[in-house]
Amino acid sequence: MKTSASAMALKYFFVLLASAVVLYPLLWMVTMAFKPYPEWTTVSGLTWFPQNPTWQNFEFIFYGHAEGLVVSLDRTISGPLIASLVTSICGTLIAVVCGTLSSYAVVRFGLAQSLPLSVLQLRLFPPLAVMIPVMVMWAFIGAVDTWWGLSLIYGIVTLPFAFWLMKTFFEEVPVEIEDAARVAGCSYWRVFYRITLPIVKPGLATCALFVFILNWSDYLLALLLTQKEWVTLPVYMATLTSAMGGQMYGMKAALGVIAAIPPVVFGLMIQKHLVRGLTFGALKQ
Amino acid sequence: MTDQTLTDTTGNADTMGYWQKVARDGPRMGFWFVLPTLLLLLFIVVFPLLMQLYLSFTWWTPLEGIPWYQAWEVFNWGENYWFMITDPRFWGALWRTVLIMIVAVPAQFFLGMALAYLFIDKFPGRKIFYSIMLTPMMIVPAVVGLMFFLLFQGTGPVNDHLGLPAEFSWLTDVNRAMISVIIADIWQWTPLMFLILLAGMLGVPSDQLLAAKLLGGSNWQNFVKIILPRMKTVIIIALVLRAVECFKIFDLVFIMTKGGPGVQTETISVFLYKQTFGDLEWAYVATIGLSILIALSILAVKGLSYMAKK
Repeated sequence: MKTSASAMALKYFFVLLASAVVLYPLLWMVTMAFKPYPEWTTVSGLTWFPQNPTWQNFEFIFYGHAEGLVVSLDRTISGPLIASLVTSICGTLIAVVCGTLSSYAVVRFGLAQSLPLSVLQLRLFPPLAVMIPVMVMWAFIGAVDTWWGLSLIYGIVTLPFAFWLMKTFFEEVPVEIEDAARVAGCSYWRVFYRITLPIVKPGLATCALFVFILNWSDYLLALLLTQKEWVTLPVYMATLTSAMGGQMYGMKAALGVIAAIPPVVFGLMIQKHLVRGLTFGALKQ
Repeated sequence: MTDQTLTDTTGNADTMGYWQKVARDGPRMGFWFVLPTLLLLLFIVVFPLLMQLYLSFTWWTPLEGIPWYQAWEVFNWGENYWFMITDPRFWGALWRTVLIMIVAVPAQFFLGMALAYLFIDKFPGRKIFYSIMLTPMMIVPAVVGLMFFLLFQGTGPVNDHLGLPAEFSWLTDVNRAMISVIIADIWQWTPLMFLILLAGMLGVPSDQLLAAKLLGGSNWQNFVKIILPRMKTVIIIALVLRAVECFKIFDLVFIMTKGGPGVQTETISVFLYKQTFGDLEWAYVATIGLSILIALSILAVKGLSYMAKK
């Protein structure tokens, strides 16, 4: 379709405007992370870019103290960073393994036909509406503030995404290939392990990254089920203020930048499959 | 269980181990495949639901040292439910949640639709702009909360760029706190609408569009008569997804305003959180949670059967 020059100009105007709106808050946080203390507020005038760029904020959250700052931190970022990584990865493993196996059984053997919908229901309810029994249970089995307790709940809440995403990938594998292999004498397990899984490998990777993003992004569950040892990045970020008394804008921004990087990178990597993942496979791109 | 044993094609049923037999029997292997998921579901759905129902009829709180299974000692004949129905704070929180939903979701929808329309045709730089557009929804919601917390400070950039004084507060103002939260939500989730709606738009056969164009249809006519009707399912999916997620809204609000000032931005989730950790009214939270669960389930079933009819 041909568009006139003026229509094109108009289009660019709106696209640029939208991009500016998208980038405004982002840019502010990123530059804030590199600003020294006096440039945080309007008191001494705001600028878009740091006048005296500094690593001080990052230094502070990694070492607990930084040059020229009187205050110091009793907890550095390392603990929460490790907690976030460990729980997100383990949660992803649980979700992807269970989701892959069960969706394969549903697609190929027609088992548990009610599973897709009941799994989907898990996503319908606000987590807080069902958290009381979960918290009681977690306390009962001693899973509060442990890496496996948080991983377990992560695995469960992201299972629907893994299940539905893998379901659509399995549905795309032609059943003839599997039949051919079985006629040749392969067992069901071998067909699954040696033929189907390699075919859906890219899908599996997408699914894992997608679920990882969701787990990494969680704030509420970690807030409810951890106390000290396994506090994750977002919770740590939010508690920084109250712990320090003052508003540590620069440090919080630095933390925000660190927390934001993995999902954005992974998200852009799996851009092609985002629609499929977010709509539970109802739509493909 | 090694691979080698499974390649055995001449295995005799008597000499095969249990797992070898399973590997040769499709449905049986399927059973083992489904089992972990079923166990997880049972673990997270059936037992907790029963516990929630049980606790919702008691005064149980974790404070008094009664273990949860002995909560019958403080049985209260459904007084929690009566308390909920007459609790203005609960209805207020529910109303504010719905308010955010009915403002933010349509705004996201129209903005997303307009953006998607801009991205239908190829143009130089489309890929880069597309990536930029998608970024907000990939950022951790808590971080988005932080970003807008920084923006809306009295001494922050929004006031500075709009030329407003530092006393002009956003997050601690009775009316503007809600507006700030809604703006943040729109910023983060318009990209999701954009993404889904664009996928739907690109699914409209381009030859149909071209034909309509050749026949002299204006852009607007083409949009309304050709694109929209073919996007019906996509639009419903996008709206339902956003509405469901929007109802859960917590991270943004909690980081930006903690539900304040007062209860001005207290949504259902924030309210439940405060009841859980501030007041330790766990039985009451269980009551509300269960009621929400039932209400949403009824809505979901109604919605599904309505969709099935169409």
